Amino acid sequence: MFKDFKVGAVIASSTLKRGNKKTLAFIIFVLALIFINLVFLPSMMGGLGRMFTNFMEYPYGDIVIEPSEDNTYINNAENILKKVRSIQEVRSATKRLDVGASIKYKEKIVGSTITGLLPSEEYDISNYPYIINEGEFLGDFSRDEIIIGAMLVEGYFGSEIYDNLGTVGVGSFINVTYSNGVKRIYKVKGIMEGTFELTDLNALVHYKEIKNVLGVDENKATSIVIRVKNPEDSAKAKEKIIAVGVKEPVFTNNEKSDAILRQAMESLDLVNVISRYVSLIVGASLILIIVYINVLHRKKEIGILKAIGISPNSIILSYAILSASYVLFGICVGLLLYFGLIFYFTTNPVIFYESIEIIPEIQWLLIIQSIFTMIILSVIAGIIPAWFVTKQKMIEAIWGRE
Amino acid sequence: MVCYKTKNDRSNLGERMINVKNLKRHYKTGQIIVKALNGVSFDIKPGEFIAIMGPSGSGKTTMLRILGLIDTQTSGEYTIDKLNLTDLPEEQRRYYRLTQLGYVFQDYALIDEMSASENIKILSMMEGKEKIQALKEAHKTLVKVGLGDKDKRVPNQLSGGEKQRVAVARAIAKKPKILFADEPCANLDTKTSEQVLEVFKTLNKKYGQTIVMVTHEEWHTKYVSRVIQLKDGLIVSDKRKR
Repeated sequence: MFKDFKVGAVIASSTLKRGNKKTLAFIIFVLALIFINLVFLPSMMGGLGRMFTNFMEYPYGDIVIEPSEDNTYINNAENILKKVRSIQEVRSATKRLDVGASIKYKEKIVGSTITGLLPSEEYDISNYPYIINEGEFLGDFSRDEIIIGAMLVEGYFGSEIYDNLGTVGVGSFINVTYSNGVKRIYKVKGIMEGTFELTDLNALVHYKEIKNVLGVDENKATSIVIRVKNPEDSAKAKEKIIAVGVKEPVFTNNEKSDAILRQAMESLDLVNVISRYVSLIVGASLILIIVYINVLHRKKEIGILKAIGISPNSIILSYAILSASYVLFGICVGLLLYFGLIFYFTTNPVIFYESIEIIPEIQWLLIIQSIFTMIILSVIAGIIPAWFVTKQKMIEAIWGRE
Repeated sequence: MVCYKTKNDRSNLGERMINVKNLKRHYKTGQIIVKALNGVSFDIKPGEFIAIMGPSGSGKTTMLRILGLIDTQTSGEYTIDKLNLTDLPEEQRRYYRLTQLGYVFQDYALIDEMSASENIKILSMMEGKEKIQALKEAHKTLVKVGLGDKDKRVPNQLSGGEKQRVAVARAIAKKPKILFADEPCANLDTKTSEQVLEVFKTLNKKYGQTIVMVTHEEWHTKYVSRVIQLKDGLIVSDKRKR
């Protein structure tokens, strides 16, 4: 068998070295495109999925603790924060108070959720401080100030879909009526844009402001948002939070994403899987056709090799090596193109609805799987046609007749 | 030389190198049965240089292909060096072709992407020899046919005569018991044909190589020791030269 392999390798290498270079370049180019087809679309899909998942970080951090079913609030927020902060995996934690309200500016009124938060703690928890498009984020002494979501402001992405406050801007004064009837006037300090409804339809004020509006104490919160040192430790941190005696429901970001985005993600995954299988079938067929044409073109040569005593196994192996080499070259070129495309789309992301950026995500496991799949397919695609031709009578293979 | 190992193996050369008995080859072309060989019998002694001649369709190439184990007979039997090859399984036929027979095709039948030495080297490698050893042997054989300086050239860098000499070198590389040549000068001019036939003559005279050559050129017979004439699948004359 090793002897067959060595002879097969000599035959294959001479074909590669001295065969038609244009044909070789064309085959490699086609195979590179097949490889790109296998890995690039899933990378874009992955980027889309990642974008959705990232959105979830605004309200939920890495882990979120919510009130138990019968309660409106977490009633012992300070105690829970103390316990949570003592856990090794936890980097930081903060409390928030959410409340429903209607916001009025001039003649326009919209309904919104206003979140009371502790501004200085948010820097280490969420992206809120970093998505201020106009104006500034809240400070620890902000009391009469509010941050409004971009979709509430005319002209911003998404504002045309929802009711908005018209020409409101930084420095405008708005009237807020909370769900318990308390009214306040706030000056708009900033406009935040996360290109996601969960943030851009909401507004932010200082935690103490909501506490006063609701008339509750420091121990009340509608959520405790936690950031862990390593996002991969979220599940472990969640277990520890439960273990230290937190009775309220604890969710990881993934669990929240699953619940909210499950349908979208499942659809994306389905498209991804279908696209992958279609690419594989198309790829395998193309490899088979390329090698089959190649084998047919060399039918006479195969007959001659047999006639001079070269074993059919050597001939079959030579085609397996040849097609695996084509595919390896194709994969190398494909990888160069792939990383070129990834680089391009990372620096020039696909823009969705004018402001949502989709950055492709490199999926190493998929790349490795695709490489192995293509090599295995190419070997099979090389073997099958060569096997058929070696089974033919020499007379027929060399002279085309019996 | 690597000897073929079977129960029938004979290492000593007997009086008859080839013994053919009532060899027939019939095949169908559409509805017509063509009797390419219709009962041919003859012997060939070791060291003979034979020309098989005859008009087109007389069966000379068919006979050569059967003896060269490239085609199979419809009936009859034949032995080479007392080994009955009539019903040998394909894998053994292939090994016999590799180690005991040489075959020169009319249109050279070289592998276009391989250099002259690579075309020969793969045979030694197929026998299990190392690449370097195989390459050395290939070079030696090319020297024998006067192409020692052209071993790295691929077929399209060689003239017709040179290609045919590479094909001869490939055929004799394994020091075969018999060298078969199917109209080896068909595509060559007279001068180049003479060069190739001189190579055959040297191999025959100097190394005692048994050669069976199909040709339709009368003047080629001056190089051979015996001429067998075929017509309609039958031997019509068999003359030895003095």
